[in-house]
Amino acid sequence: MRYVRAALARLAGVFTGHRADDDLRDELQSHLDMETAENIRRGMHPDEARRQALLASGGLTQAAEAVRDQRGLPWLESVAADIRYALRALRHGPAFTTVVVITLALGIGANTAIFSVVRGVLLKPLPHRDGDRLVYLRQSTDGPGGANLTFSVPEVRDLRNGVPSLAGIAEYSPWTAIHQSNDGAERIGVGLVTGNYFEVMGLSAVLGRVTRPGDDGPGVPPVAVLTHDYWRKRFGGDSGIVGKQVTLDKKSVTVIGVLQPAPFFPDRIDALLNMVNSDHHLSAMMVEGRTHRMTEVVARLAPGATVDQVRNEVAVVYARMQGDFKEVYDPASHYRVAVIPFKEALGERARLTLWLLMGAAALVMIISAASVANLTLMRGVRREHELVVRAALGAGVARLRRLLLLENLVLAVMGAVLGVLIAIAGVELLTSLAERYSPRANEIRLDVVVLGFTLALAVTVALLLSFLASLPREGTFASRIAAGVWRMSGSLRRQRLQRGLVVAQIAVSVVLLAGAGLLTRTMIRLSQVTTGLRSEEVLTMQVPLLTPTELLFNPAADAAAKQRYEEMRREIAALPGVIEVGVGSPMPLRRSDVVFEVKAEGRPLAAGEAMPRAELRTANPDFFGAAGIPLLTGRPFATTDGPGSGNVVIINRTLADKLFPNEDPVGKRIAWTGDVLRFTPISGDWRTIVGVAGNTQDGGLDAEPRPVVFMPFAQMLAMGGGLAIRADSNVAALAATATRIIRRMAPTAPIENVMTIAQYKDRSVSPRRLNAALISSFGVLAVIIAAVGIAGVLAFSVSARTNEIGIRMSLGADSGRVQRMILKEGGVLLAIGLVLGVAGAFLAASVIQGLLFGVAPHDPITFTGVAVMMAAIGIGACWIPALRAARIDPAITMRF
Amino acid sequence: MAERLDVKQGTLALMILTTLEVLGPLHGYGIARRIEETSKNRLTLNYGTLYPALLKLEQEGFVTAEWRQSENNRRAKYYALTAAGRKQLAREARDWHRTADLIAAFLAPRREAP
Repeated sequence: MRYVRAALARLAGVFTGHRADDDLRDELQSHLDMETAENIRRGMHPDEARRQALLASGGLTQAAEAVRDQRGLPWLESVAADIRYALRALRHGPAFTTVVVITLALGIGANTAIFSVVRGVLLKPLPHRDGDRLVYLRQSTDGPGGANLTFSVPEVRDLRNGVPSLAGIAEYSPWTAIHQSNDGAERIGVGLVTGNYFEVMGLSAVLGRVTRPGDDGPGVPPVAVLTHDYWRKRFGGDSGIVGKQVTLDKKSVTVIGVLQPAPFFPDRIDALLNMVNSDHHLSAMMVEGRTHRMTEVVARLAPGATVDQVRNEVAVVYARMQGDFKEVYDPASHYRVAVIPFKEALGERARLTLWLLMGAAALVMIISAASVANLTLMRGVRREHELVVRAALGAGVARLRRLLLLENLVLAVMGAVLGVLIAIAGVELLTSLAERYSPRANEIRLDVVVLGFTLALAVTVALLLSFLASLPREGTFASRIAAGVWRMSGSLRRQRLQRGLVVAQIAVSVVLLAGAGLLTRTMIRLSQVTTGLRSEEVLTMQVPLLTPTELLFNPAADAAAKQRYEEMRREIAALPGVIEVGVGSPMPLRRSDVVFEVKAEGRPLAAGEAMPRAELRTANPDFFGAAGIPLLTGRPFATTDGPGSGNVVIINRTLADKLFPNEDPVGKRIAWTGDVLRFTPISGDWRTIVGVAGNTQDGGLDAEPRPVVFMPFAQMLAMGGGLAIRADSNVAALAATATRIIRRMAPTAPIENVMTIAQYKDRSVSPRRLNAALISSFGVLAVIIAAVGIAGVLAFSVSARTNEIGIRMSLGADSGRVQRMILKEGGVLLAIGLVLGVAGAFLAASVIQGLLFGVAPHDPITFTGVAVMMAAIGIGACWIPALRAARIDPAITMRF
Repeated sequence: MAERLDVKQGTLALMILTTLEVLGPLHGYGIARRIEETSKNRLTLNYGTLYPALLKLEQEGFVTAEWRQSENNRRAKYYALTAAGRKQLAREARDWHRTADLIAAFLAPRREAP
């Protein structure tokens, strides 16, 4: 109690100091007066009486100081005084303060914004209960379509029985469904899940309930759990949603709950359904077919188990599976299963890009800190005199150090505040970039951890700056004062430090510029890639008319859908300006996920050769012309290639080269093959090749063309049909009319991705463009800061050497010579910086190799260009102080 | 001249409290004089020792201070003991006696071995 009271009294004392000071002076004076009076009474002369009283007091000032220390919190008060002093000093140097705060804000802002993305997408713990115990299993093979095969039900069963280190396996089958509502229809991503799914994933409902084992199997009501995002987006967060019916794939499904926010992988999911929603998933072929792979697997580690244990056990089980079912796992295709921590899997597409951005931001931070350090050093020299005087008046080295630290903290915190404002603006942009790479983009926040990171960054910078400044050692003040002068040039150590900082800035700028150059060239190369299509001015759209169940099990619906597509084609083709309309699937520049093994008649596989695989695409007779896919030989499909006539196909050049090297494929026969055909209505009959189409960049602009087999739209299921429209002028203007016609003819069908091929291509380049733009702006920023840095250091050096230059000139050096001298001084720094920077850029370029396309990581053009540009800017920056040096008038400088 | 002693912090508080208890409300000068006299001038109190100690006692709530006219018509700040101060004095005096006895016992000349 007593201590609390005393502490409060002292805290109050901090603020009531002025009044108390008067009071104390009166009190001490009255004491002195009384003592003097007493001395007089004892017979002293008044002067002597007063002198003795003063002697006995021990000094009024010292007493007042001692009382003041007792009164308040001396530490706090002197810190407050130092902060006031720091603010005043910064106000007196507005140019310095502004430059430092802005420079720091740029560095801190870039780092804060990008760290918030890195944290949200890569680092933050998953929202799943014990999310770090989840692993993702991926089965893959070599060749097209082999990157992620998913698993079949028998394979999952083997894993479940053979891997004791997994406590539970959550299966989900990614699928799409058409959600019909009053506002129209849209295709949504759904996951068909077994009853243990949510338990294993560690996810619970925020409204209603999740599915449980009782929802498995046939004969139960179909139910749906909405994901948080979809519930918010489509149902406006309606809290009364539980128990309502929604129409999915033309069937009524009961919503039983809303899931907590959680990311899904590999694709976005809008609703999770129990298996009864898909007849297909309950069918015997799904459950029994080992090659019928439709299931993604996320599993939970058993208590105490490690990922490595799981990997070992999975390898053993998988080897046994491959031994038992040799016909299913073709050894030449290299079947394998990877076990990846789920969090890593979620971040795998974003990781490289984000760390690249984080690295670039760190480089910007280094540059801005180096630049600020240089400014501080220069300012420190000008303040040396002031610091010496302060020291002489009684400030210890510790106090001076603290004063500097506080000043730098004030600067850094101002920079951080401005930086956070910059970050707030940048995060939105970065989130839109992250959305293209990561399912966790909506977890990006400027939260406490991110702000803590910002603060830590600011404090670190302030500490570094404070310890850069060299303070006079204790006890040397007197000699400095006695000397009466201080040398503007500062110590040798400081000069070396300044030059080192400039070299670092230049080197780091070169690294950033090289990265920016490589990424920009990548982006340009990508947009220059020839798509293989004749024209990019083709309007495309997808109009799925059938549900998967109808597609697979209902021939009548399939025939009706084909009829409907033909009607749409005819009506749109009749629009003025339209030249040709094609029907097919998928649209050009989009990958087909339907990939099967394919064989050529009379061509046995070589020993150890993997079974060729090809994409299945469909096209009606007009599709090649409308979409601009060139036919190299043979003929397009004809209207006579109908359901009843002979089976025909058109293959692309890649497949032709693979199956029929140096031969004309037209007239030869191929057939789909493989165990998986059993589960589809597609027959393994021989099909005659009637034409060869040119390769188009369907797998992405940066991907190798994949083998393709086109089947006539009329001879194949009407899967995910779409329209390609070619017109004689501005085709994009047709979008609205075409959409209206389709909506009238198929009011319940979703109409997706209405855009021209050029627009689609542009969209696929845009994340790279944003990426390149970000790194480029970092690079430009870095170069500006570095140029200002080198000019500043030289200017400082010139002003420090004014005397020396004056002497040189009066001894006969002409201005050209002086100018060369200064240029040489800068040139040396520039050269060292360039060499180090190019070396650093070589290392950095190998790291970002995976993000490059069409340009070698050590591309000589980029590197030369960057070096020349940096050199030119650097020399330009040196020129200004060199000119100033050359104009020095010896007559003026020598006078001082 | 007798050897001068510096006052130890802590004991000074006790001396001040005792002085105020014996003499009633008193100003800083009076307190200093009284302590010096009681110590037969073996102690000297400069302002820098006395006034922080008084302020500390005030902050702890053991004394109060107010400006008044002194007997010879000067304005002076008078310190007075509070109830809490009285209790604190009793407690400190007791502790001090105990410590003094204990130290005295330790420092007493050893008895001759029998």
